[in-house]
Amino acid sequence: MLEQKIAQIKKEALAEIAAVESLGVVGELRVKYLGRKSEFTGILKSLKDMSEDERKTIGQLANLIKTEIETAFVEKEKELKEKSFDFAAEKIDVTMPAKKLQRGHLHPLSRIQYEIEDIFTSMGFEIADGPEVETEFYNFDALNIPKDHPARDMQDTFWIKNNEQLTADNKQQEKIVMRTQTSDVQIRFMEKHTPPFRIIAPGRVFRRESTDTTHDHTFHQFEALMVGEDITVGNLKFVAEQFFSKFFKADVEIRLRPSYFPFTEPSFEFDINCLVCGGKGCSSCKWAGWLELGGAGIVNQNVFEAVGYPRNKYQGFAWGFGLERLAMMKYKIDDVRLFHSGDLRFVKQF
Amino acid sequence: MKYSYNWLKELSDTKKTATEIAKLITLHSFEVESVEKVGSAFEGIVVGEILEISKHPNADKLQLTKVSIGNDEILDIVCGAKNIAVGDHIPVATVGTKMPVGFEIKEAEIRGEKSFGMLCALDELGLGTDHSGILQLDKKTEIGATFASVINNSDEVLDIKVLPDRAHDAVSHVAMAREIVALEPARNASHSDAGGGGEMDYDYDGLVLENKKAKNLKVKIENNSLCKRYIGAVLSGVQVKASPDWMKARLEACGLNAINNVVDATNYVMLELGQPFHSFDGDVIGNEIIVRTAKKDEELVLLDDSKIKLTNDDIVIAGKNGVLALAGIMGGKNSGISNETKNIILEAANFKPLSIRKTRSRLGLFTDASSRFEKELDPNLAEKAMVRVIEILEHTANATFEGMVDEYQEKIKPWTVELSLAYVDKLLGVAVPLKISEKILTSLGVKVKIKKDVILAEIPTFRIDLKSQEDLIEEIGRIYGYDKIENVPPSVAVTAARQNESRIFERALKNILIGQGFSEVYNYSFYSAKDAEFAELGEVKHLELEMPMSPEQSQLRVSLIPNLLKNVKENLKNFNEFNIFEIGKVYWPNGEVLPEEKSMLVGAMVLKKKSAKEEKMDKRHESGFFEAKAAVNNFLAQLGIVDHYYDTFGGVPIETPLALWHQSRAGEIKIQGSEKSFGYVGEISPLVLEDFDINTRVVMFEFDMDKLSQISDDEREFTPIRKHPVVTRDISLLAQKNVRIDEILMVIQSAGKDLVQDVDLFDAIDFADDTSSFAFHIILGAQERTLTGKEIDDVMFAITNKLEKDLDVKMRR
Repeated sequence: MLEQKIAQIKKEALAEIAAVESLGVVGELRVKYLGRKSEFTGILKSLKDMSEDERKTIGQLANLIKTEIETAFVEKEKELKEKSFDFAAEKIDVTMPAKKLQRGHLHPLSRIQYEIEDIFTSMGFEIADGPEVETEFYNFDALNIPKDHPARDMQDTFWIKNNEQLTADNKQQEKIVMRTQTSDVQIRFMEKHTPPFRIIAPGRVFRRESTDTTHDHTFHQFEALMVGEDITVGNLKFVAEQFFSKFFKADVEIRLRPSYFPFTEPSFEFDINCLVCGGKGCSSCKWAGWLELGGAGIVNQNVFEAVGYPRNKYQGFAWGFGLERLAMMKYKIDDVRLFHSGDLRFVKQF
Repeated sequence: MKYSYNWLKELSDTKKTATEIAKLITLHSFEVESVEKVGSAFEGIVVGEILEISKHPNADKLQLTKVSIGNDEILDIVCGAKNIAVGDHIPVATVGTKMPVGFEIKEAEIRGEKSFGMLCALDELGLGTDHSGILQLDKKTEIGATFASVINNSDEVLDIKVLPDRAHDAVSHVAMAREIVALEPARNASHSDAGGGGEMDYDYDGLVLENKKAKNLKVKIENNSLCKRYIGAVLSGVQVKASPDWMKARLEACGLNAINNVVDATNYVMLELGQPFHSFDGDVIGNEIIVRTAKKDEELVLLDDSKIKLTNDDIVIAGKNGVLALAGIMGGKNSGISNETKNIILEAANFKPLSIRKTRSRLGLFTDASSRFEKELDPNLAEKAMVRVIEILEHTANATFEGMVDEYQEKIKPWTVELSLAYVDKLLGVAVPLKISEKILTSLGVKVKIKKDVILAEIPTFRIDLKSQEDLIEEIGRIYGYDKIENVPPSVAVTAARQNESRIFERALKNILIGQGFSEVYNYSFYSAKDAEFAELGEVKHLELEMPMSPEQSQLRVSLIPNLLKNVKENLKNFNEFNIFEIGKVYWPNGEVLPEEKSMLVGAMVLKKKSAKEEKMDKRHESGFFEAKAAVNNFLAQLGIVDHYYDTFGGVPIETPLALWHQSRAGEIKIQGSEKSFGYVGEISPLVLEDFDINTRVVMFEFDMDKLSQISDDEREFTPIRKHPVVTRDISLLAQKNVRIDEILMVIQSAGKDLVQDVDLFDAIDFADDTSSFAFHIILGAQERTLTGKEIDDVMFAITNKLEKDLDVKMRR
């Protein structure tokens, strides 16, 4: 009898659950069929008054049915919840172009400069600064380039017009220039520090040159200077190789050729193997297999004397390489004048 | 300088090709900029023999010839030259030949007679200027042979860049040959272990002048500091004519024109040894030579017919009757060699470089002689060179050496440099075997003695550049080969690099701006006077370049704004909405020797151009000013700057004049507690934009990087998170136009004291009667307790009361 009743409850419950259309009604039905005052709960409560055998069979059956009804409720609830939001009505075309967010771009020379600074900082180099308008003394004399020295012809110089009306006390006896190289920083730094030290000095320099795709009157160099008691040409080659291998993320070979700079002795032209062709010769390196990067050398003892160091106590190397040249190599830029053009079609590529 | 490969080969006896030499020299001595073949291929020009000559029937000056060019081929050629005879061997340009001087030979009819080629004169072959007749070839030359094979003038020219440290000796073939010899693998067994180290066969260093005093010549140097040495040599019986072909070919390969045998000989020796000469006509100048400074306003007509006015700084060569030549630069027109010259006085001297340099710069006379004399030359070179030139003139001009005068007061002798052996290795970072160092120095002309741990190096006087130990180490290093130096890690103490704070700050700021959609530009440090004027900076004193590349780039910038405005204009061609910034130095003249260099940040925002209707709607909030203000607030906050405020443009700071900005839409940025501004933000004046040809609104902000960095506070402090709730009350009020929101905020803050946590403006409406309505959220709370309803009402009462009293606003309830 009781079994039939339970089966009847199940049948009714499942039929009603199947027919229901709203989540609210599901809740009512749940109370009706499984709630504390429901017929079903009444049956379960009456179990305690039954014989052991009855309790066992009826109890088992009731629990089974309860689970079955409960499952039906859960499934119905799930089904109704899904139906409750009309997704189709909010359909979008995901292939439609997105809204453009303004993105800023770092100038490629800044990018290159930071890469350089990071590599050298990791090797314990300090970053030093100097002024862009420089006195004749720091730009030339202290660097062993006295007045009327033919070496001054090597760098076409922007001199600043003698503006005596600007100086209140007629102090401007000394001529001033747009610095032609970052080597002035060597002098300014050494005047204030005693070896050993290692610095780099990235900065803007100026030469009075006609401009074309590879020359501009304004460009950037980074000076390196490492001084101690026994810094050698071999050390220069090592540090340079470390730097360029990190910078280009490749094994870079260094080649030194003889050159002349008044502030170094010996002086070198500094080449690296062409990374495009690996040294075999290609259009990038004009079939030479090597790329010329700039000047380097062992600091001339006259320069040490000019900053007050005793002669032949210290040794050191120095170099000045062009940032533009490195940027052009790294990003395959074909016209140096783009760097100072302010053209966003250029900057936005970086 | 251009060097002839044939010449270098002859001097050095090298077996290497021009290209091999170029590589060797580049790696060890000087940069070789190019290697070029010279001498025309003379394609289409062959040796012919004249078989017949007859008169041209229609022209007196022309002749008809029949010329055999081999292979039984006989050509009819019309010729105008008179120096031909039957049997002559001559160069024949056949039809289709492109002549070295440019024109092409075509089949032609000349006054009714057909002509199938051309008999060639020297100038037509591009070999000289002689057009006096057809070039006569040796009768032994083979008919039909190519002309190129007969004249054999092919050579290769190496263009080598000699830097100032070697300008005194290396601009000569002998010096370059010496480099090659030093770099050649050993020629005999004893040299086989070394990288280089041969010796030259011809002893140029041993040339000594025959001590034969000239009877008819007196030389007087007025001031020895201007002229260290003057050799005058007298030669008689000179026959001025053309130089031999081999000499012409070498001169031309090196880029000099052949002139006559006397001038050519001096030029030849200049290229060979590096000493410039001058030659005077002995019968014109008389028997006295004075080296002196010019008198003020003395005049001289130079070889090139130009008349110059001299000053006390110029060194001149004078005779009894006045100035003969501008010493070391150019000779006078009337004293030089002519075709009639019989007796010559040759000058090989040594003048003060600085003086030559000054004179040639002043007069703009850049000659082969001046470019050499303006660098210091070895006075001993003059003697060797004089011996050589006399030797040559005896052969090529039939000259007889009559004697010379040699004024040479302070003789330059070789000097000794002590080179520590240990220092060589210590500087280069490689152990160079002593034998090799010794051999390298010897091959360069240095006499070497070894004494214990030092090399006593006696430097030949032509190597003026070798003065210090390091100079010698460079010689050893480069000849030995820099490629032999291993890369060695330096052994130094592990120390942390000192931080460069201003660079770190700059980089952080750039990254923030880029995150906010600004792109970085770099501009030149210069602009034009016009740009300054357009940007209302015309009154500001600027430093100026002495010789700018163009007027466009003549003023040292005192502001980044003019160039950024030009960027805006250019970029508007491609974009209608963009944000850019630049961080760079500006240069303020400040009465000191050097200007004050300030690092500035300027950002520029260009918003899409609005229609007139949109502009009208956009009275307050939508204008670009507030976009810029938002950007500024955002990056200042990231820099840790939050307690700043905006003020209307007050004073007129010199560095950023008010007229540059939109008077009603620009403000100063100040930090709480200070009246001094550290930045500016605003629209650029429409009048300025018009000058820069920009037709949309541009908003900019400008900061002094140093000030910004000082204010920026990296060490942010933590404020405990509030435990008690806050309440928000809104107020709405009606204010006259002249009331600034800033003032309202300050009244709210001061009336509400520390219970006011924040105030937000959420609505603003401007009315036609010049009043505005504003609505604010006022957020109230206390750190240590929850506010009671009464407390809140009291505060709000205080606030509204004070607003009405202080600012005469009407509360809208």
